[in-house]
Amino acid sequence: MHSLVIASDYRVPDPARVPRLLESRKSALADIGAHHVIVHASTVDRGRVLVSIAVHNPEPIVDLLRSRVFFEWFDAVGVEDIPAVFAGELVDRTDLTDTDNPGPPGVIVAAMTSVQDVSGLVERVHFALDRFRVAGIRKTWIFQAFDDPREVMILQEIGDENSARRWIENPDPAAEWMDNAGMGAYPPLFVGKFLHMVRIDETD
Amino acid sequence: MYVCLCKGVTSHTVAEVVAQGATTTRKVAKACGAGSECGRCRHTVRAIIKAAPTAPETR
Repeated sequence: MHSLVIASDYRVPDPARVPRLLESRKSALADIGAHHVIVHASTVDRGRVLVSIAVHNPEPIVDLLRSRVFFEWFDAVGVEDIPAVFAGELVDRTDLTDTDNPGPPGVIVAAMTSVQDVSGLVERVHFALDRFRVAGIRKTWIFQAFDDPREVMILQEIGDENSARRWIENPDPAAEWMDNAGMGAYPPLFVGKFLHMVRIDETD
Repeated sequence: MYVCLCKGVTSHTVAEVVAQGATTTRKVAKACGAGSECGRCRHTVRAIIKAAPTAPETR
C-alpha cells in the first residue's frame, strides 16, 4: 500500500492546544489512513509548528489532501491561511547517534526546498557523514516529494541548540538544501523540538 | 508543495503560470485554478508571485 508523509509548517495561536486537538481527532485521522502524527514546536519562532503525518492510503494524494479532515484541522487550530503542504516519501535515513550515550532529545532543523538532484544529494550526504557527526548531527531524514522529483523535505536532529545554531550559520557544503529554504511556497528553516506524537490504530 | 488543496494545484504549476504571465492571484486562479475555491491558499500564491524572477503586482 502507498506509504507517504504529509507535512506542513504553520503558525497557530496556541501550540499547547495542538496535542489535545490531535488526540480528539484520532478517528478522522484513522479514516484517511494516518498511523502516526508527529508535532514539533519551534524554539525560535513563537507559535510555529511542524506537523508530519505518516499515512497508508491507496487513494491518489490529491484526493487525500482534498479531504475535509485537513480543512477541519486547520479550522480547529485557528489557521485561516492554509499553508503549502509537502507530500512525499522517505528516500534516505542516516543515524549517527552514539548508542552508548544517546543523550537527551535533540533539536530538529527542518527544510522544505528544491535541490538539483535528489539521488546526488543522498550520495553527497553519505560522503559527508563524518563531518555531519563532528557538527553534532545525529539523524538525517530525506523525503522526496511526489509532485516534483527535485523537491525535498529534510529533517535533521542535532545534539543541542548551540550546535543547531552553528549548523544553520555555517552548514556543510553537502547540505545544499539550507540555501533555498524560505523561497516562494517554501517555509523558512524550522528550528524546534519534539512536542507530541499520536499513534493511531485502525480501531481508532 | 501542494498549494491549493481544493484543486490539488502544486507550487510547480503555480510557478509555471506565473512565468507565463499570471502576475496576480486572480490571473493565477484563472490560469490553473489555485485559489479559485475557498481562497485560503492565496497568501502562498502571493509568495510564489513575489519570488518569481520578474517583479509583478500581487493583487
